[in-house]
Amino acid sequence: MIARRSRPFMRRGSAALTGILPFIALFAAWALLPALAGIPEFKLPSPGKVLNTFTNMMADGSLMAHVWASLQRLAAGYLLGNLIAIPLGLAIALNRAVSETLTPVLSFFQSIAGIAWVPLAIIWFGVGKGSVLFVIANTIFFASIYSTVIGVRTIPRVLFRASLSHGASRWDIISNVVIPGAMVQILVGLRTSMAYGWRALVAGEMIAGTDGVGYMTLEAVQWYQAEIVILGMIVIGVLWLLMDALLFTPIERVTVRRWGMVR
Amino acid sequence: MNTAALTGGTPKISIRDMTLVHVNEERRQSNVAVENLTLDIMENEFLCVVGPSGCGKSTLLSAIAGFMQPQTGTVTMNGERITKPGADRGVVFQEYALLPWKTVLDNVALGLKFRGVPRADREAKAMEYIAMARLTEAAKKYPHELSGGMRQRAAVARTLANTPEIMMMDEPFAAVDAQTRLSLQEELLRVWNDNPITVLFITHSVEEAVFLADRVAVLTPGPGKLREIVEIDIPRNARHWDTITSDPEFIALRDRVMALVRDQNG
Ligand SMILES: Nc1ncnc2c1ncn2[C@@H]1O[C@H](COP(=O)(O)OP(=O)(O)O)[C@@H](O)[C@H]1O
Ligand SMILES: [Mg+2]
Repeated sequence: MIARRSRPFMRRGSAALTGILPFIALFAAWALLPALAGIPEFKLPSPGKVLNTFTNMMADGSLMAHVWASLQRLAAGYLLGNLIAIPLGLAIALNRAVSETLTPVLSFFQSIAGIAWVPLAIIWFGVGKGSVLFVIANTIFFASIYSTVIGVRTIPRVLFRASLSHGASRWDIISNVVIPGAMVQILVGLRTSMAYGWRALVAGEMIAGTDGVGYMTLEAVQWYQAEIVILGMIVIGVLWLLMDALLFTPIERVTVRRWGMVR
Repeated sequence: MNTAALTGGTPKISIRDMTLVHVNEERRQSNVAVENLTLDIMENEFLCVVGPSGCGKSTLLSAIAGFMQPQTGTVTMNGERITKPGADRGVVFQEYALLPWKTVLDNVALGLKFRGVPRADREAKAMEYIAMARLTEAAKKYPHELSGGMRQRAAVARTLANTPEIMMMDEPFAAVDAQTRLSLQEELLRVWNDNPITVLFITHSVEEAVFLADRVAVLTPGPGKLREIVEIDIPRNARHWDTITSDPEFIALRDRVMALVRDQNG
């Protein structure tokens, strides 16, 4: 029992170690290349300079203010987008009329989802929070909805039949078969839509924002402060890694992994 | 049970001149799977349906379960038309069809949950059937942690715990290894002796059918029609694999059913 438990743990531990190697390589290249290849500091600031910027911006609170503004916006867009996408995805997968009505119009808008809406969003909502939220929610909606649809459609028919022949009502089917059966894909949608949401957030803030990590990096470009741009990119990447590790991976572990639906 | 079947008894399920057609709308095709079938399933009998693969056995089960409607003819239970699936007709599938996200206990308690039985009551009742299926140790496990044989025992327990009027089984032991299959067949008969219930058991194995059944219905190759019904009057206490294969009565019946199945193939 002990041996069986410790093995996956060790594997996870060594996977985390190997996963760090590329970061070390990248960091080494970043530290050494400018001197070797003669890249000027204003184009690629040294790690030390970025670290310096980080401590300064932490001290004056400006970094946290931008990060906090972005996170709030992301959370709002994420909730809004997924709260529409998941129920609508279920409806499309379960009801033929809904599917036939909505599939063409969704395909049409899917191709122009996300930052393609920034110009119109600015006209509608002005530069600021409203526009960015609209763009994020829009991106997240399209990044999530089809996962739910596929998740439901790939549930084996025999599970529906078995439940019906044991007396399931329509609601029993939805709560006992459809939602858990589509969970692998719903989680894929929740995860990918978060990643796409980040990108839309940063892009949206660059064009239509007044604060946030994206706005911070674009503002820095005007003063050639590449160290702030790089800091912003690192912050975004680290926040995403944290969310993945602290939010999605644990949810997966107590659901689909436990059920043997993913390995 | 045999006598009830022989003397007529009451039919639990009555099928009259039933034709079943699969319609594929996308390809604008229709496929006659069962044609003009007339068959009664008696109360508390163990009826096996045999026939070659593709002859319409699963389709027949689908109609009784209410998953599809006959094109012509009727299918009734206790004299009432079957129009949709329901808890009174439990199905055990070849693929087990346990919900992967529920433990054995929750799977076996599923039908009781759907019918609104409070948690404590349904879990107590489910545990009885789990014990009967010799799965007590595995009650808290998820299906993916079980062997094929254990999964199918759980599926049978799930259906019986829901006390349907008929249990239908569609090639339930086809996916397990030969050794496990023999013991599952014997166990099924033990459980059925303790829980008298109407059983429709579908298989393509003649030996399995003759071993289990009160009566064996032989279907013709697709579209399925009823070829013949063979009474299996081997006593229930003689249904053990270690002795039955040398029983002349078993051998004779098996050869007869085999001949009926093969006759139409060759
Ligand atoms: N969903 C379906 N759509 C179209 N044809 C089907 C479908 N299911 C079964 N059939 C056809 O109906 C016939 C009977 O199938 P089935 O009842 O599954 O046979 P069996 O269970 O005896 O192997 C076969 O010819 C099969 O191809
Ligand atoms: Mg079949």
